[in-house]
Amino acid sequence: MTYAAQRDAHVPHATIDAPKDYLHITHTVKSWLLSTDHKRIGILYLISITGFFFIGAVAAGLLRLSLVVPDGSIFTNDTYNKLFTIHGVVMVWFFLIPSIPATFGNFLLPIMIGAKDLAFPRLNTTSWYVFMTGALFAMLSVLFGGIDTGWTFYAPLSTAFSNTYVSLALVGVIIVGFSSILTGLNFIVTVHTMRAPGMTWFRMPIFVWTMYAVSMIFLLATPVITMALILLVMERTFKIGVFDPALGGDPVLFEHLFWFYSHPAVYIMVLPGMGVISEIVPAFARKRLFGYKFVAYASIGLATITFFVWGHHMFVNGQSDYASVTFSFLSFAVAVPSAVKVYNWTATIHKGTLVLDTPMLYAMGYIGLFVIGGLTGLFLATLAIDEHVHDTYFVVAHFHYIMVGGTVLAFLGGLHYWWPKFTGRMYNEAWGRVSAVLMFIGFNVTFFPQFILGYLGMPRRYHVYPAEFQLMNIMSSAGATILAFAYVFPFVYLLYSLWFGKKAPDNPWDAKGLEWMTTSPPPLHNFIKPPVVDFEAYDYEAKVPEA
Amino acid sequence: MSDTLADGVGLHVIEQFVDAEQQRHAGQLGMWAWLVTELLLFAGLFLVATVLRVQYPESVHLAVSHLKFWIGATNTGVLIVSSLTMSGAIQASRLGLQRLTVYCMYATAALGTLFILLKLYEWYDDIVEHMAPWLNQPYELAFDKPSTLFTNLYWVTTGLHGLHLTTGVTILMVLALQARAEGYLSRHQNRIEVFGLYWHFIDLIWIIVFPMLYVIGR
Repeated sequence: MTYAAQRDAHVPHATIDAPKDYLHITHTVKSWLLSTDHKRIGILYLISITGFFFIGAVAAGLLRLSLVVPDGSIFTNDTYNKLFTIHGVVMVWFFLIPSIPATFGNFLLPIMIGAKDLAFPRLNTTSWYVFMTGALFAMLSVLFGGIDTGWTFYAPLSTAFSNTYVSLALVGVIIVGFSSILTGLNFIVTVHTMRAPGMTWFRMPIFVWTMYAVSMIFLLATPVITMALILLVMERTFKIGVFDPALGGDPVLFEHLFWFYSHPAVYIMVLPGMGVISEIVPAFARKRLFGYKFVAYASIGLATITFFVWGHHMFVNGQSDYASVTFSFLSFAVAVPSAVKVYNWTATIHKGTLVLDTPMLYAMGYIGLFVIGGLTGLFLATLAIDEHVHDTYFVVAHFHYIMVGGTVLAFLGGLHYWWPKFTGRMYNEAWGRVSAVLMFIGFNVTFFPQFILGYLGMPRRYHVYPAEFQLMNIMSSAGATILAFAYVFPFVYLLYSLWFGKKAPDNPWDAKGLEWMTTSPPPLHNFIKPPVVDFEAYDYEAKVPEA
Repeated sequence: MSDTLADGVGLHVIEQFVDAEQQRHAGQLGMWAWLVTELLLFAGLFLVATVLRVQYPESVHLAVSHLKFWIGATNTGVLIVSSLTMSGAIQASRLGLQRLTVYCMYATAALGTLFILLKLYEWYDDIVEHMAPWLNQPYELAFDKPSTLFTNLYWVTTGLHGLHLTTGVTILMVLALQARAEGYLSRHQNRIEVFGLYWHFIDLIWIIVFPMLYVIGR
């Protein structure tokens, strides 16, 4: 069932680490499912979201298959609509949003600040069960025949026209929202109250800062979409009319409420990735993170500005020109803290002693792809250009560069970086490097043609398209095949390493931070002796006094 | 914080915390964080109400004039008094007066229940007067379509608030029964403090909901 239980059955006790670490303290399935240890809950989340990732990925594969031919002959229109809805709903709500916070955040946040656990361990267990309950509802809606509204559930399509299992999926998404809220609440309280002696705010790793910023978004944005979706379910069930134009309701109101959450949700997905990169880059450049305070403030800045840009999703839906101009300006403002981060990572790399191990390859891929995704975001924030490319493949390519090129690469980079800490095992470095490079190539081949397609006018969410777009679409689908290998390889060699990997030392990367000062894997309460922090974050140049 | 505790009042420190102070702080901050999310949950409804009031002032006025103002006003008073008794429970618990704490909690629960009963009666009246358009039955103001939206919003908002209050009364009763145990205040006094935050918050939400639905444009 669990990695630990499986692994233990095959390896004689004498050859594995001291039986005090969190994996070996108990072995039963029950001890995992009822665990209140933040590390085990992180692993439970990791297993769950990996499953959802593959469901979403299969849907994506089928979409790309369908788009190989221009006449839409592979699937019916209905099936195509359901496929892109499943892909969107599963990837956004069941993979990307919980991805880094619920897995690495759960596992690492208490360790990084020197705490024994999160402030509310039982609430943490509950959040996983809430997550799985929400997932159950959403998966049932898929099993019963799927939904066809797109992941955005726009009214009145979702309220008056769609006759698929929309309410069931909505209930699933509403429930999942509560698991985000509980996780965010736990993180905020933990960061505020449970830091080890000496762990001041400006000694916290950037990963903790980004987790804090993300938790703020969880708390402030999620309840709003919960309410919007509750009203949507009420609308479908009781015809209450809030979003129904026939009764005088306003469908655009739903878009406002939806994007008030869903734009900040973009930063729920991106900020944790930035946190991971801010850990990996100093470790493999052997340098202190350049401009630490700026990166910390930029995280809070992003989490703040993100609440004031939701209208840029609505430039062409009839909102006033003044609103559009304001939202456009504010969207440009997002570029400032984003650029602060990118410049600080590159400045960290500059004149660093680079070690191009797997996590660093993912991190450098991340920086490149995030820059392309971010710059095309500026195109979209420009009103005139958005008129032209709105709802085309240009938008699809843009947000995949951020969500996949950004978040997924950071997720995989972080997974490789902390894998020795999570499992106590080393993976195969050669396979890791091959996968990281393959991912970068496959991703670009898949999504770069979509920028061109969108600019030439191919709309999103259609599978019948003019024949002259076929070449680009075939390129994109071919790239998706490469990408599939880049996902399957790590899955295989990481699993393999659980049984046959070399035993990991406590600090395989010679990295700084409290998580590298405890054993791999850590003991039940993280540290054998409660840590006292008398050093700065990213203390890589300890011998040279800081300028 | 000014909440100095009497001797023998405090809490049993659980393993993830270093000391009682940290645990108290964490519990209370956790509840505050939760209340922020609750506020934003209700904020969605407040926004919809504002939009409706701006878009259809006449229809909203029509719907508001059919709501039972005096029941709402009485309920506002009931909740404010219940907050007073809850404060009494908290203060008594800090002073280590266990019996007084429990009696104040009983009083609070009773007032909460009174609110719910009055609210149920009001809903019953609404249905009898055909002021429930979401039920598949004739609607009093059917000639004015947009008034449907506000009337339905009234149901959603008071329903959600009622759900919170029912949850609150249930938890309060469990706490009150537990609080009779010997030495409760020396182990779990913080639970009463944390719950008090929640109770005051439901009161506060109603104080926003009441003018939003019943008073403005009456």
